[in-house]
Amino acid sequence: MSLLRTQKLVKHFGDTRAVDGVDLIVSQGEFLSLVGANGAGKTTLVNLISAYLQPDSGHIFFQDQDITFLPVADRIKAGIARSFQLVNLFDDLSAFDNVALAVFSREGKTRNLFTLAEKDDAVTQETLEVLREFGIEDKRETLAGGLAQGERKLLDVAVAHALRPKLLFLDEPTSGVSTRDKAQIMDTVSSVVRAGKITAVIIEHDMDVVFKYSDRIVVMQEGSILADGSPDEIRQNGEVAAMLLGAPTST
Amino acid sequence: MDILVLQILNSLFYASVLFLLAAGLSLIFGVMGIINMAHGSLYALGAYVTAWVITFAATAVHPAVLFLLLPAGALVVTAAGVVIEPVLLRPLYKRPEEYQLLITFGLLLVLEDVMRFVWGGTPLSASPLMDALGIVHVGEFVYPTYNLLVIAIGVFAALGVWAFVYRTRFGVMLRATSQDRRMASALGMNVGRVYVQAFGLGCFMAGLGGAIVVPSQAAVLGMGVEVLVLAFVVVVIGGLGSLEGALVGALIVSFVRTGVIQFYEELELAVLYLIAAAVLLVRPTGLFGRPQ
Repeated sequence: MSLLRTQKLVKHFGDTRAVDGVDLIVSQGEFLSLVGANGAGKTTLVNLISAYLQPDSGHIFFQDQDITFLPVADRIKAGIARSFQLVNLFDDLSAFDNVALAVFSREGKTRNLFTLAEKDDAVTQETLEVLREFGIEDKRETLAGGLAQGERKLLDVAVAHALRPKLLFLDEPTSGVSTRDKAQIMDTVSSVVRAGKITAVIIEHDMDVVFKYSDRIVVMQEGSILADGSPDEIRQNGEVAAMLLGAPTST
Repeated sequence: MDILVLQILNSLFYASVLFLLAAGLSLIFGVMGIINMAHGSLYALGAYVTAWVITFAATAVHPAVLFLLLPAGALVVTAAGVVIEPVLLRPLYKRPEEYQLLITFGLLLVLEDVMRFVWGGTPLSASPLMDALGIVHVGEFVYPTYNLLVIAIGVFAALGVWAFVYRTRFGVMLRATSQDRRMASALGMNVGRVYVQAFGLGCFMAGLGGAIVVPSQAAVLGMGVEVLVLAFVVVVIGGLGSLEGALVGALIVSFVRTGVIQFYEELELAVLYLIAAAVLLVRPTGLFGRPQ
């Protein structure tokens, strides 16, 4: 069953056809990787789906509802959340507060001005649970700005996860971290996503990561979908594999 | 020795009022990025309203009840703030800062004229409250007991604001919004509501400052502009946008001011400006401020 479907989605920036008539289907529960060279249109596509950009034409359906013109907050309510390419946390808030903010915003508990932060057991417990799932519970009092890069990446995904999305977009969750941290981040993220039966769409450049964790891979080039298939199918597609891995094309 | 105690009390009295004012100014700047030129006039409005209500009620009710009317000024100013933010300020957030300075300066002029129109040029006082509490003896000197109450209110206000900003859920939202408005709204927070609440809180503090000062110093025209200058000195020293800075700045300004007045009154503002200039030279963002 398709969770998300785009129909002839188009976004041009001047002469650049960033997204050029993309029909993408994301199925319930899958771990999908969106790959392609820089400028292939991956981030623009995700921006369109998460309402950070408005499409020039085309439609987006989420659970068969047309959400093309819903604003960001409503898409979050509908169940679409994303983490950002550039880690986008509240640096002056503790890791705990960063996640708690997502938890009580989602619950709509933003009216009671005088509620003591630690007095609401449901929010506290859920926040700690999310931090524990991502293995950063011991950093809960640390300001987000003081965390190591790998921990910031995890916290970033944790915040998006705390919104309890049905569909989670992760924009380069492992960029700028060491190889060792990369594996740890991806193991954590994929186990949380699979345990929660969350559908995940990940933009990633590291093809080892992509092949290891994805159920399906969508390859973009110049605003269009070039190939779409399982990791094995993509590997066997000589032309695409060559482009992605930089290997010579086998003829 | 007794005179020293007296001067310390005077400084703390003044610091309490200045803190309320500067903390509100800093809070509004920290969250909305607006330098509210009308902040001193809101303080004056709080003073006028409280003095007017107390004068009106003094003949009719028991002095103990009068104390319950003390926050009247703060409440009226809060109500004004809750209207001002969405109506006057919100349309200007996306414009350059000059527009925000202009509109809050315009508001300052309007408020000053409104006060002149409503209450005229005669000073308005709420002295029944001052009289009701009597005096305490400090060695050979006497000191108004009411001023001790103001110091206590200042201490409670500082603790209360700190707890509000750092210990409540609203505080988390406030700090999040001040850091990244777009992110906050992406999480599903109603940023507009946070703005109204923050502006209302800042106005409440300004109004409260005016309300508690007026039993000991009468409300006069121009008091808002005079105190705005000092509040700016406080935030320049402490760092605009920082509550800790507002507290430390208010203490520094009050103690220096009291000390200078004791020895050579004419130098009062000059010395304060020199301190502000020195802080700007050494730490342009103030003692507790951070680069934006």
